[in-house]
Amino acid sequence: MTVRPAALPPIPFTGIRPRLRRRESVLIALVAIALVAGDISLSATHEIAAGGPPTLGIADPGGLAIYLAVLLGVHLAQVLAGRRTDQVLLPAVGMLGGIGLLLMERLPQDLVTQTIGGRTFGLAEIQLAWLVLALVIIGTLAIVVRSDSWLRLYKYTWAVAGIGLLILTVLFGVEVNGVRLSLRLGPITGQPSELLKVILVVFLAGYLSENRSLLIEQDTRIGPLRLPPLPYLAPMLAMWAVALLVVIVQQDLGAALLFFLVFLLLVYIATGRRSTLVIGLLLFVVGGLLLYATIAHVRTRVDIWLDPFSDPAGAGYQVIQALHAFARGGLVGTGLGAGLPVVSGRLPIPEIQTDFPFAALGEELGLAGILAILGLYLVVIERGLRIAAAAADDFRALLAAGLSLVVGVQAFIIAAGNLKLIPLTGITLPFISYGGSSLLANALVVGLLLAISDRGVESPPPPRPARRSPRRLFGRPGRGSSGGAAAGRAP
Amino acid sequence: MTAVGRGTARRPISANVAQVGAALVVAFGVIAAGAGYWQLVRSADLSSSPDDPAVIAAARDTPRGLIEDRHGTVLASNKKDADGEPYRVYKDKSMSPVIGYASRYYGTAGLERAYNAQLSGIARSDPLAEALRKFQATPYDPQNLTLSISLPLQKAALAGLGSDRGAVVMLDPRTGQVLALASNPTFDASAIADPATAQEAWTAVNADPAQPLLPRATLGTYVPGSVLKIVTAMGGLDSGALTAATKFPQQPAAEKNGLVVSGFTIKDGHHPFTDGTVLDLPDATEVSCNIYYALAGLKEGGGALDSMARRLGFYAPLPFDLPTATSQLTNGGGPLPGGFLDDVELANAAYGQGETLVTPLQMALVASTVANGGLLMKPQLVTAISGRSGTTTIASQSMGQVLSAADDAVVKQAMMQAVEGKYGRLFTTGAAVPGIPTAGKSGTAQLGGTGEPHSWFIGFAPVDHPQIAIAVLVEHGGRGGSRASPLAGQLMKLFFDTEATS
Repeated sequence: MTVRPAALPPIPFTGIRPRLRRRESVLIALVAIALVAGDISLSATHEIAAGGPPTLGIADPGGLAIYLAVLLGVHLAQVLAGRRTDQVLLPAVGMLGGIGLLLMERLPQDLVTQTIGGRTFGLAEIQLAWLVLALVIIGTLAIVVRSDSWLRLYKYTWAVAGIGLLILTVLFGVEVNGVRLSLRLGPITGQPSELLKVILVVFLAGYLSENRSLLIEQDTRIGPLRLPPLPYLAPMLAMWAVALLVVIVQQDLGAALLFFLVFLLLVYIATGRRSTLVIGLLLFVVGGLLLYATIAHVRTRVDIWLDPFSDPAGAGYQVIQALHAFARGGLVGTGLGAGLPVVSGRLPIPEIQTDFPFAALGEELGLAGILAILGLYLVVIERGLRIAAAAADDFRALLAAGLSLVVGVQAFIIAAGNLKLIPLTGITLPFISYGGSSLLANALVVGLLLAISDRGVESPPPPRPARRSPRRLFGRPGRGSSGGAAAGRAP
Repeated sequence: MTAVGRGTARRPISANVAQVGAALVVAFGVIAAGAGYWQLVRSADLSSSPDDPAVIAAARDTPRGLIEDRHGTVLASNKKDADGEPYRVYKDKSMSPVIGYASRYYGTAGLERAYNAQLSGIARSDPLAEALRKFQATPYDPQNLTLSISLPLQKAALAGLGSDRGAVVMLDPRTGQVLALASNPTFDASAIADPATAQEAWTAVNADPAQPLLPRATLGTYVPGSVLKIVTAMGGLDSGALTAATKFPQQPAAEKNGLVVSGFTIKDGHHPFTDGTVLDLPDATEVSCNIYYALAGLKEGGGALDSMARRLGFYAPLPFDLPTATSQLTNGGGPLPGGFLDDVELANAAYGQGETLVTPLQMALVASTVANGGLLMKPQLVTAISGRSGTTTIASQSMGQVLSAADDAVVKQAMMQAVEGKYGRLFTTGAAVPGIPTAGKSGTAQLGGTGEPHSWFIGFAPVDHPQIAIAVLVEHGGRGGSRASPLAGQLMKLFFDTEATS
């Protein structure tokens, strides 16, 4: 007992054996130190701005304490539950969420307010509530999910639900900033496209894993190109087209780009066929040109991207102001709370809390901070892809890879948009941007990744022979799954 | 080739995952490179641009640096409005064309614009200090400017212009330091800077047909008339086409009957004084003989005239603390050397008519060059910049030896005769400073039409070791000798009475 710390006494009434998570505890301690240091720096900046000498205070001790306590709670819950999930994801995501919380504490609190029961909550308080909920979801999924059949078996149901959600948004959505992206449920508005990205990955993972061998081994030849068999691609393309169409109708370019890139990369991961990438990129170019020619909204975005300085006070304002913010930051930044100069009571960048947190952090934390944040995203991606590579079967591998891609590609799209590397689209910076939908959807991603990473979960079902209509109608009989280590590794 | 069992098909998912992971690492590397571009390469120019909100906010929160004249008189300082935000207050209206204004609503002009980064304190002198600025208590370091201007001279120049539009430039020919740079009419820069009166003052000053916002000394271009003859003389002497003894035998007859150049007749009206004398260069300068200078210009040719003008600073903005208009001899495009259309235009340009257009500052530099033995000094307004990190003194700079000292002595002699000579003083009434040998040249710029000509004078004193050079322009002031010359003499006298040190 005293010699082996891992073998704590079992909790008698459940039979669950607690298991220490040393690496995670050390990393969470580092995260706590970094965030407390950040909050002290923020407090000092406030005091200097107020004209006094800085003291060793914490700007928002209550909020930070709650956040760190919940982060620690999720860690301890996994310890008690004895799960053997990944130990790096939670601290990395916790750090990103904490940076977001510090940023929301630093921004003017009246940017977003919500009154519930006579009490008005400000930006940081709302973000903290969503972060706590997100951490609880991560912990719950990591501990509770022991089987993936609810995802694996009902992929079409999920797809239909997702599309239904989008159609509901189009029909009954609430307009925010002139775009109908949100659904209102009581006091809460949400953006279904955030949830849809998770559903898309679940569906694609299910479909691709089931038909993987056929997609790899059969060809449709068009000239020199060898493509996967068309009948097997059709449902997928349809899914993609429907999602894309609805998103375009909603003018949510960021989500459309995210869906398309994740779709393309996931098909490549499943099949390893470069031709799919080539075709996909051609489709992308053709589609992009068509959209540019036909949709004014797209044309505006691209024109602003090409030359924001042609209309610096109008259309190009946001983009130029973001570039100025990066420039003001320089190598080490202005310091948290010391940047983002306010002129006439206005922050330099409109919609900073959702669309431009990357530029805000670029100014206040400098290039050094930007590199650290990019590094954190790479850690999340690396852990996710590692989980994918080590997964027990194709479905879990594709699911884990897809979920990691959702985070990585989304972070890339908005960061590159902020830096004028690609046209700006209004999607969120995962874990950092203000917003409940985004935080909860990304919590689902992390929670599922943690669940998949656990070797202790229920082993996947044995590969099934071919079934369902497409093969009977168009294909020859399947030859069974050929990929992945199908054997379960249950203890 | 069969469709089954190719190599790629057998690759496990993990290999494809690794490839996609590598692609994402590259993609994030591109983002890092993009951040590096904007945060390091473009950092300085974007974050110090006048459009940057930090610059605007700094201007709102931080009082700008002070501007002082050469005697330490504060010309631009700050007050605070009801909200505690600073705004600019200016000492004297005569300085407005030089200092300009810094307004919360209407931006900046003049030195306030040219030195905005230094005055507002966002200038980045040292990259390391810049990187560590976040660790300093006060991030901005507004710098004070010291000008070479003398406020008493500047005020006297403006007062001397009175109700006439015009400009006065006075500078030290040895250093290029500008002591007066007056433009009339002027405006109340304090009223534009004061948030309480800004809108009203701005509207009024823009609606004024006299264009008070135009700094005439630097951005006004005028037909020079006879003051340009000095450039013609310099060009001819430098190219060897002219000497002090050069005479044109046909000149006396042409004065009576007109000089026919390519069918165009040039007339001049001073023959009663000289009565048939064949003039040399100093004598022709003394009586401002258009016929002589037309012939001189034709003899030296457009190339020599153009070359001298360019060395003096024509055809380009002058290297100066304020923006300047370019001066010219011709609109250009002609087949003759120097771009003149024909000999008629060249002959007219040689005595300052035709398509010649100059700024008062440019003509002051011509006088300054002659005064300084042919060595042109760069004109200079700001002599020192001082802030928390210390004081930087800005040394005077040469723009090159434009004319040899020997040739320059000939021009000096000619210009002295034009002020001190028996006939010359009739053309330059009142320009001579009592007790101090004075040199100069008046000009009467014919504008066509019925309006009064522009009245010009350029000159310097004392002739032997000049301490002050001057250019005076009075729009529609009549003959050079009647309006500009006496004002120049009066201002130079004031200089020797109150400013001269040696």
